[in-house]
Amino acid sequence: MNKTIIKATQLKKTYTLTKTNKIQALRGLDIEVKEGDFTAIVGPSGCGKSTLLHMLGLLDTPDEGTLVIDGIDTSKMKEYEAHRIRANKIGFVFQGFNLIPALTALENVMLAGKYGGMKITERKKRALELLGSMGLSDRVNHRPNELSGGQQQRVALARALMNNPSIILADEPTGELDSATSLEIINTLKKLNQEHNQTFVIVTHNDEVAKACKAILHVRDGRNA
Amino acid sequence: MKEIFRNMWRRKMRSVLTIFGIAIGIFAFTVMGSMSLKINKMISGGKKYITGQITIMPKGSSASAYGSMGGSSFLAVDTLNKIAEVEGVQAVAGGVELALKEVDLNDPSSQSMSFGMPATIEGMDLETNFENRNWATMDMKDGHMITKDDPTTAITIGYTIANDNSLKVGDTFKVRGKDFQVVGIADQTLTGPDQYVFMNINQARQLLIDAVPFLKSLQERSDEAANISDASLAKLPEATRLQIQEAKSFKLEDINQMAAVSWKDGEDGDTVANRIKDQFKDEAVVLSPKKMGEMIDKASAIFNTMILGSALIALIVGGFSIINTMIMSISERTKEIGIKKALGASRKAIASEYTLEAGVIGLIGGLIGMGLGALLATILNSKTSAEIFMLSPGFLGGVVAFSFVLGIIAGVIPAIKASRMKAVDAIREL
Repeated sequence: MNKTIIKATQLKKTYTLTKTNKIQALRGLDIEVKEGDFTAIVGPSGCGKSTLLHMLGLLDTPDEGTLVIDGIDTSKMKEYEAHRIRANKIGFVFQGFNLIPALTALENVMLAGKYGGMKITERKKRALELLGSMGLSDRVNHRPNELSGGQQQRVALARALMNNPSIILADEPTGELDSATSLEIINTLKKLNQEHNQTFVIVTHNDEVAKACKAILHVRDGRNA
Repeated sequence: MKEIFRNMWRRKMRSVLTIFGIAIGIFAFTVMGSMSLKINKMISGGKKYITGQITIMPKGSSASAYGSMGGSSFLAVDTLNKIAEVEGVQAVAGGVELALKEVDLNDPSSQSMSFGMPATIEGMDLETNFENRNWATMDMKDGHMITKDDPTTAITIGYTIANDNSLKVGDTFKVRGKDFQVVGIADQTLTGPDQYVFMNINQARQLLIDAVPFLKSLQERSDEAANISDASLAKLPEATRLQIQEAKSFKLEDINQMAAVSWKDGEDGDTVANRIKDQFKDEAVVLSPKKMGEMIDKASAIFNTMILGSALIALIVGGFSIINTMIMSISERTKEIGIKKALGASRKAIASEYTLEAGVIGLIGGLIGMGLGALLATILNSKTSAEIFMLSPGFLGGVVAFSFVLGIIAGVIPAIKASRMKAVDAIREL
């Protein structure tokens, strides 16, 4: 039996836009993810999927509820503690790839290693390996605007894997890709999951992606559906 | 570092304008600072000299050498000898100063019309072992400072005198109708000595006597009286005898418009000055080293405040332009900050990246400004005879380091703003 790597209980989050306009993004949501799981979070737009993913990635904190990541209670964790967990235990893949435009593919991947505390020679070696494994050996010195959408997402994936995190959080990873490239990316994610036993939590609208996942969490109006 | 340059390159015009702003500030700082350095060096040299001796003026004379024409405005050699016996005094040197050019007495305004320090003959008492406590001798550009071993017609001249009259060591220079040989040219000081002709005090005394009819007649009467023997004198009527005896008492050595006193090892200059003041308060004005030093300090403090204050204003403006640029740059790069935070960047890492970027802007602006400032100072130094800028490697290096630090300081606030950005807010910009 795999151990629980993410356990969130009754997560609540309200965003105050103005004095009278408040949005209850999460209204008491539970999620449990075992190590090596390949989980999809699905639900309509504005249901709180991305808010949940941001919380799981320690980019935001819940107003109420508890969140335990790999045995550590992170619910009330301060920013100066959270960055270490983000750097070493969590990898992010975003919908819009979000590569830094001023940096090459190699430098974008190496950047994650820098924040993870890797030495520069080690960083370069690992980044080249990862880009190679993504079939991008001939694209390492290209800037993001010189790469196709699929190539950019593979660079983003390599960047997420740089510090060998146990959890990979992906927010609509195929949202901006055509169906063939989407399938290619999903297959890469599944392969990583099988070969390295890395845990994947994927927010998606795409039924094909959801079908590929072992577990599906349905969210509606900030709660478990 | 590569990322910093690429980020700057992304907004070329803005980066260039910011760097230009800093460069102007640093340019002003380099030019003003190098001028201030040079002048401060000169002032400190002058202060070092003037505080290395006790200056004695005859009572009733003005500080100007040109005001003392009457016999009462001289320090008699007897007085100087008595001062030499005051406890703590090492040596006393008389001094004579007069204008290099003869003053046209029919046109007294001719002096006041000239700017700056007029060219001056400085008579030096070479027979005493007086030595300024802080400054044994002047820095020389060429040749040497006159000594008692030189012929009495030897002179050492100041930098400006040499330049204005195209003189070099070995040349003959006519001073008030007499020929003198140049044995040395002093280094530029930007103060009085640049306009000095240093000569044996007896030569200067004689030139002064020749220039002042009253002294001239005194000397002539003295010369005539010297030919009258004591035996002949005794036969003369009393009134005539007294007049001749008075004329006989005139001595060249009594012509001392001022005197400089040095003190013995282990003695304190101000204490010795006070002792002299106590004993000779009726005959002389005593200027202690401390008092002279304070006067110079006050003048140089005002000067420095004016020069460095104006450069500082330029730098503050430059600093604000860095802050402005960095705030703009950071608000444009909110998304990047979010990505970096998601990748695990700590607040410290984000803050140091942006601070360093501001530092690099400051550094580039500093290098350009320093380069242009140094270039202008060098050109001005070579185009004009007066070298008014001092460009030391230490100062120039310091200016560049300062511009880097200025960038860092200006970058701190925007960088902290960036580092405190909540990751989720930055991510939501995506």
